[in-house]
Amino acid sequence: MRILKLILTLSLLSIYNSSAQTLNWASLKKEQRHLANLNIGLDYGVTAGIVYSYHLKTALPMAIGLEYSMPSGKKIGDDFKTKLGGQIRWFRFSDFNFSTRIQGVFRRFDSNYVTLTNFGTDVSGTLGYYKPKWFLAGEAGFDKAIVTHFKHSDLMSDNFTAKNGWYMPATGGNFYYGLQTGFSWQSHDIILKVGKVINQDFRTEPLLPFYVQIGYTLKMK
Amino acid sequence: MNRTFSIISAMLLAFFFIGCEQELSINEAGYLVPKTVEQDSSLPSITVNNTQLHAETFGNPANPMLVILHGGPGSDYRYLLNCKAFASEGYYVVFYDQRGSGLSKRHAKDIYTIQIMLDDLSAVITHYRTSPSQKVYFLGHSWGAMLATAYINTYPQSVDGAILAEPGGFIWQDVIDYVGRSRSFKLLSETLNDATYLDQFITGKQDEQAILDYKFTLMASADESSESSLGNDGPLPFWRSGALIQEALFEAGDREKPDWTTNLKTYTTKVLFIYSERNKSYGLAHAQKVSSAYPNVDLVKINGAGHDMLSFPTGWSNFYPIALNYLKHL
Repeated sequence: MRILKLILTLSLLSIYNSSAQTLNWASLKKEQRHLANLNIGLDYGVTAGIVYSYHLKTALPMAIGLEYSMPSGKKIGDDFKTKLGGQIRWFRFSDFNFSTRIQGVFRRFDSNYVTLTNFGTDVSGTLGYYKPKWFLAGEAGFDKAIVTHFKHSDLMSDNFTAKNGWYMPATGGNFYYGLQTGFSWQSHDIILKVGKVINQDFRTEPLLPFYVQIGYTLKMK
Repeated sequence: MNRTFSIISAMLLAFFFIGCEQELSINEAGYLVPKTVEQDSSLPSITVNNTQLHAETFGNPANPMLVILHGGPGSDYRYLLNCKAFASEGYYVVFYDQRGSGLSKRHAKDIYTIQIMLDDLSAVITHYRTSPSQKVYFLGHSWGAMLATAYINTYPQSVDGAILAEPGGFIWQDVIDYVGRSRSFKLLSETLNDATYLDQFITGKQDEQAILDYKFTLMASADESSESSLGNDGPLPFWRSGALIQEALFEAGDREKPDWTTNLKTYTTKVLFIYSERNKSYGLAHAQKVSSAYPNVDLVKINGAGHDMLSFPTGWSNFYPIALNYLKHL
C-alpha cells in the first residue's frame, strides 16, 4: 500500500502544482496563455521533446504543463518520459527572478531483458537575470525515480528468474545543475540549457553525465 | 469539469489496483540477480585465497588440467560451458567465476587488483592439482586471455600451453584501442540510448552491489546487439555481471598502464591465438599486433563467428577441432 500512497501523492503533486519548459519571465506577457515548445537535446540519451504549458491568471506568475520526450533509436516510443507539473516565479528583484519547478514524472524503459515503468518526481530551482530580449539563469534540481515496476522478458528468465513487480525503496536519483539562456522576440523564444548530472551519492556519474537542450517556444494568446 | 473528474477518478482507480501489488525491495538478495555462493550454500564452490569462488570441474582429476578463464572482467563462465567437451577428450576441465564475478563472492572495490586475480588463479590451480607433474593449460577468452597472459608473463614455468581467444591487448594502449572500437556505437542508435537512458531509473551506491550488477547486466547486453561491431550470433547466457570488479580493474589498468609482455619472450611453448571472422573491432591486424608478443604462436581465424566464438554453434564447431589438435600436440 505504500506504493499506492506514493503514486497518489505524485499524481496529486503533478495535477495541482504548477510547466517545466524554460521560460523568459521578462518577456512573458499576461495575455500569452498558451506556450508550445519543441526541443532536442541530450537527456540520458539523444532526445526530442514537446511541451505544452498554460500560463495561469494568478498573482504570482505560474504555468502548468505537460512534457513528452523520447530518445532516438530503432524502436520509436519504447522508451519515453512524461512530466506533468509546473513552475512558479516566487520573487523578482530588479531584473533578477527566482522560480521553482515541481513535476511528477512517468517514464518507461524497454530492452530485450526488461521493461521498467517508473513514477518519480523532478524538483528544481532557477535564479537568473531576465531581460525582455534575453536571459541567463542558473538551475539546480533533483530527479528521483521513486517507485519502479520491473517486468522481465523470457530472455531474462532463460538466464535468471528475476522477480517482477513494484520495487521499493527508491530505485534511482540524480542531481543536476547547469545554465539556461535564451533569446526572445515578439512571441518567440529560443532556449539553450546545458548542465551536469551526478548520482545522488555525489560520487558516481551516469554514462551521459551532462544534459543539453535546444528549444523553440511559441507563446500564444 | 465532469470530464476532468472522470479522468482523475479513472487514474486513481488504476493506481489503486497497481498499488495493491506486493512491494519488492531492490536491495533483497536473489531478486534482481542470483544469489552468490556466499548467499546460497547449494552452489558448488571452493574457498581459496580469502575468497569463495563458484567453481566446477569435469573429467578425470588426474588428466591434464585445462583452466577456463572467462571474459569481462565481470562476466562468468556460463557462456563458456561448451568447453565441458574437452573433458571427454582426456582433460580435467576447471571452470571458476573470477572473484566478484558471476556467482562468486563479492568484495569491496578496493580489494580488486590484477595481482589478486593472479593469486586467485594460482590458488585455483593449487586447489585442483592432483600431482606436481600434472600439466596445466589455459583457455582464456577476451579478458580471460589477458589474465592468462598476465599469468604466463609472471609465472612462465607454471603453464604448459594456452589458447587465447581475442584478448583486447597485453599492453594497456592496445586494450584501450580495442575497447574504444568495440564500444563505439552511433549517436542515434538504440543500443547507445538504451545504455544511457537506464541511468534515470536505477542508480546504486558502491555498497549496493546487487543493484549495480543488475544494471551492468542490462548494459552488457549491448554486446549482443545487431548494432554492435562484435559480430555475435545473439545473446549470451549469463549468471551475473560483476559491476565493481569491472570498474575496479579498468581503473587499475588506467592507473598502472600494465605491460604483460615484458617476460613473454622466455615463453617458448606454442600458443594458439584465435580471432573471429565477424568481429569488426578486432581483425587480422590487431590479432597480429597483440599475438606478436609471444615468440611461438599459431594465429588462426575462426570463421562464421564473432567475438564470443566459443558460445555459438558455428564458432564452436570451427574452433573445437583446432583447439583439440593444438592441445594434443603440446
